[in-house]
Amino acid sequence: MTGSPSRQAVRALQAALAAEEAASYGYGVIGAHLTGSALADATADWVAHQRARDVLQLSLQARGAAPVPAAVAYQLPHPVGTAAEASSLAVILEERVARAYLGLVALTDQSLRQLGALQVRAAALRGAAWRGRTVAFPGLPPSALARRS
Amino acid sequence: MLAGAAALPLFLAGCKGLQALGTPPRPAPDVGLLKGAIAAEELMVARYQAALRGAQVVPEVTLSALLLEHQQHLGQLRARLIAGSPQAAGAASAAASPGGSAASRSPAPGPSIPAEPGQLASYLAGEEQAASDYLLRELLAAPPALAQLLASISASEATHVPVLQVAAGHR
Repeated sequence: MTGSPSRQAVRALQAALAAEEAASYGYGVIGAHLTGSALADATADWVAHQRARDVLQLSLQARGAAPVPAAVAYQLPHPVGTAAEASSLAVILEERVARAYLGLVALTDQSLRQLGALQVRAAALRGAAWRGRTVAFPGLPPSALARRS
Repeated sequence: MLAGAAALPLFLAGCKGLQALGTPPRPAPDVGLLKGAIAAEELMVARYQAALRGAQVVPEVTLSALLLEHQQHLGQLRARLIAGSPQAAGAASAAASPGGSAASRSPAPGPSIPAEPGQLASYLAGEEQAASDYLLRELLAAPPALAQLLASISASEATHVPVLQVAAGHR
């Protein structure tokens, strides 16, 4: 990571914000294909992403940076036409959110690092619920894992 | 073999002896942190292994899946210790108690676990939460890459909690 600590923080916060904005948009699509308790879960997760977005925006503003606005629309990783595809999209979005927050965990700022770790946990919990199973390393790309001899 | 052994002191003398190297460097602060994380993970693995040996309560497939993830956590943590050093894998079992939670106690060879199925799942859920919280605290003092690994492992362990709570009939 290059740049001053404050620039690094702003860059990581903007990346997390972008992931949250994309997730908020994605959950709007997800909710349209769900009913009953699954819809209620998607709505709760959408609210969680909205709140997290607000926190990130405030944090950026407190650092004198302008939060990058959300896009009008986002390219989805795959078409969503069924409940199963909606759940699959939620899994992908939560993994992306977790990965973005790991950028905050890499910062030296303790409060941002803690915020990042808590949000990685929150995204992992939501992702596991949509996936129906747990994973060993939420948010971490395979390239970040040490190869064992 | 013998010749080689006899030549060793001469070789060392020629190199002005090991004293010339001075005192070994102190382990970096994150080595202690890593050892604590490994010790906590070893304890979780031991708990699941004990649970799989004895209990019929929690579906075996659930325990096996969660155990596998703990073994993966342990593998990644151990891979970050330099092989052959005094801090290498295995030495972590003797690590000092890293914190106050149940999950942070030094691992015992065979942890005692509840026999009754519902209690076992509740017990494991509590230990998973404690282990997750422990890593969440520890990562604040870790270098960036290790902090990211600990955050991911902490998150993974947090996801084990609802799985076990369901198995315990609490959700």
